[in-house]
Amino acid sequence: MEAVKAHMTIDCNEVSQKDLNKIIADSAKQGIKEVLIKNPQAKHNLGVGITDPIHIVYEGDVGYYACSLSDHISAVVHGTAGWAIGENLMNGEIVVEGNAASSTAASMRGGTVVVKGSSGARTGIGLKGGTLIVGGNVGYMTGFMMQKGRMIICGNAGKALGDSMYAGTIYVAGDIAELGNGAEIVELPAEEYEEIRSTMEGYGMKAPASFKKIVCNGMLHNFNKKEFGVWKTVL
Amino acid sequence: MENSTIRKSKVWSPEKIDEIQEKAELGRYRIRGQATKRQDLPSFDDLVFTPAGLSRVALEGYREKCDTQVVIGAGRVKRPLVLETPIMVAGMSFGAINSNAKKALGIAATRCGISTCTGDGGMHPVEREASEKLVYQLLPSRYGLNPYDLKRADAVEIVVSQGAKPGTGGTLLGQKVSEEVANMRDLPLGVDQRSPCRHPDWMGPDDLGVKIDQVRIATNYEVPVFIKIGAGRVYDDTKLAAKAGADAIVIDGMEGGTAASPEIQLDHTGIPTIAAVVEAAEALHEIGMKDEIKLIIGGGISNGADAAKAIALGADVVYIGTAMLVALNCNKSLYVEDYEALGTVPSACHHCHTGKCPVGIATQDPALMARLNPEEAADRVENYINSITMEMQIFARSCGKSKVTDLDPTDLRSLTMSATMITGVPIVGMGTTRKPYWANYDHSTEMTEMALR
Ligand SMILES: Cc1cc2nc3c(=O)[nH]c(=O)nc-3n(C[C@H](O)[C@H](O)[C@H](O)COP(=O)(O)O)c2cc1C
Ligand code: SF4
Repeated sequence: MEAVKAHMTIDCNEVSQKDLNKIIADSAKQGIKEVLIKNPQAKHNLGVGITDPIHIVYEGDVGYYACSLSDHISAVVHGTAGWAIGENLMNGEIVVEGNAASSTAASMRGGTVVVKGSSGARTGIGLKGGTLIVGGNVGYMTGFMMQKGRMIICGNAGKALGDSMYAGTIYVAGDIAELGNGAEIVELPAEEYEEIRSTMEGYGMKAPASFKKIVCNGMLHNFNKKEFGVWKTVL
Repeated sequence: MENSTIRKSKVWSPEKIDEIQEKAELGRYRIRGQATKRQDLPSFDDLVFTPAGLSRVALEGYREKCDTQVVIGAGRVKRPLVLETPIMVAGMSFGAINSNAKKALGIAATRCGISTCTGDGGMHPVEREASEKLVYQLLPSRYGLNPYDLKRADAVEIVVSQGAKPGTGGTLLGQKVSEEVANMRDLPLGVDQRSPCRHPDWMGPDDLGVKIDQVRIATNYEVPVFIKIGAGRVYDDTKLAAKAGADAIVIDGMEGGTAASPEIQLDHTGIPTIAAVVEAAEALHEIGMKDEIKLIIGGGISNGADAAKAIALGADVVYIGTAMLVALNCNKSLYVEDYEALGTVPSACHHCHTGKCPVGIATQDPALMARLNPEEAADRVENYINSITMEMQIFARSCGKSKVTDLDPTDLRSLTMSATMITGVPIVGMGTTRKPYWANYDHSTEMTEMALR
């Protein structure tokens, strides 16, 4: 039997996006441990629907939906990421060395996504599990309708943070432009801070000295006519 | 008191008074299931078929075939969706209806060679097992969405909106968020679930094109991708959905059913199905994609006449929700005291939103669910689907068509001016020229004018 190669390289200048995804999926199935994507040139949909374990290294910027609808993968983007990196990730680990655009880890269900720079609007929107860490700032509607999981934001957060969140936890070290409806700041227990610090350390990131902890206050869980002021903005 | 002497106001009708007083109690808009109750909408009843006579030859029912098969995605994907009759069971979420209802619909659809659809809330294993052909919905909420179910689907439907609530997200009131529903949707138990109206990861038609590519990659380019849109700006939306790369476009007219929508929206948003199909077909013709991209039309389709007329106006397939539930037993005169407890009667029930469905369909309560036997219910749905298929064939054969989908607008005449304006189908009596036979007669008023001088 031929020995399975441990590594392989794919150059985006040489294969189509369709072939590239097939090669990654097939390589993962065959047990190849790592694939290096050269010249990604911010192309969309690089590494989609991969459900077998593999480590993907992107040697540059990626476009929309990198590492989305996937499970068991790990990936590093040596550049910036376009919209919705890690969208609907089931489990695994994605690290973006630069900034990420909007909708980072939208509807993620498990695993960890780390953006070392900043991330745009709707970061962690509809989050259904897992951990999302952002080294810089996040934009408008971050954590909108978040359902589970946690988000750690080391910089500032834009308006409507955690709006209509059902559950889950958001930690913000910097300023919050405006809390969303149904979200409230509560005290951060020391052991939780310690957990965040050690998680970040695992990614070579230094945790800020303190965080505000944001959770769902339950006000939007069931309609209450006495709370019209809140409901009129969301129903 | 003698009732006949009491004058009732048209402006302040009993329904309006009831509505105001209910809102005065609720402190919010009314939310309910089923569909608009407006009585004044133009509908397929405003059209009739013009069967063959001497100018065309009708088909012999007993030996000449009238084909009903439709294939979606042929030449575009590896595994096109083959429907043995141009009917699909519309997406109705697990949550809105229960697993017994899903199972019954799946068994019936499989026997008839057509598809069912997950609706919101994820793919229930019971439904996957019962349905040979299952369409998987990808909605803004993304409840239960995962790449494994995506790969197990026979088509993927990206939902932009529904006819019953275009431009808004879904609602599932807390009484229906049972433990199983909460687990599948990753929600807290008993929460009033409001889902978003916009997708979390794309905004406009260009992004949607990238999204469709993503879905194709995740499904290995095997299955067709649909885009579903509540009927509003149908002409433009259809063109944009086609440009984004859909294999089929689902347009849901304003009569479209729901398990829970704001009543005000049911009655006052969207455009009726008869108008929607015409606009959508027109748009696809205009861009030269009418044959390649299939048009699926839903909203108030109840029998073979509605279905055949929708097809004659340009649809390839009809998409049926409420009528399938009715075939299951919705609104049937059983457990009448339970309808009464909800403040309604069989045939007028719209209480899916309450979770207390008297016949065990739109409920997660085990005691009520036990009222729906999936095997018996499947027989009824199968019979219903077969009946509509035969009804469609009656129209096609009598118009001289050997394929149901060969019906076209020339097979129709309109009964009302408004239907003529909406569809372009000539009004009855006007023939194909739309001019009366006496149009060229001498209309001179010379004699009258002379006499008046
Ligand atoms: C009980 C019920 C639940 C529904 N759930 C969904 C859903 O989850 N997703 C969706 O796109 N449409 C949903 N719909 C709308 C149907 O998919 C379809 O568009 C509509 O029922 C068509 O109109 P008709 O009911 O008159 O046939 C639902 C409809 C009903 C009646
Ligand atoms: S009978 Fe059940 S399914 Fe039918 S409208 Fe009433 S609650 Fe809904």
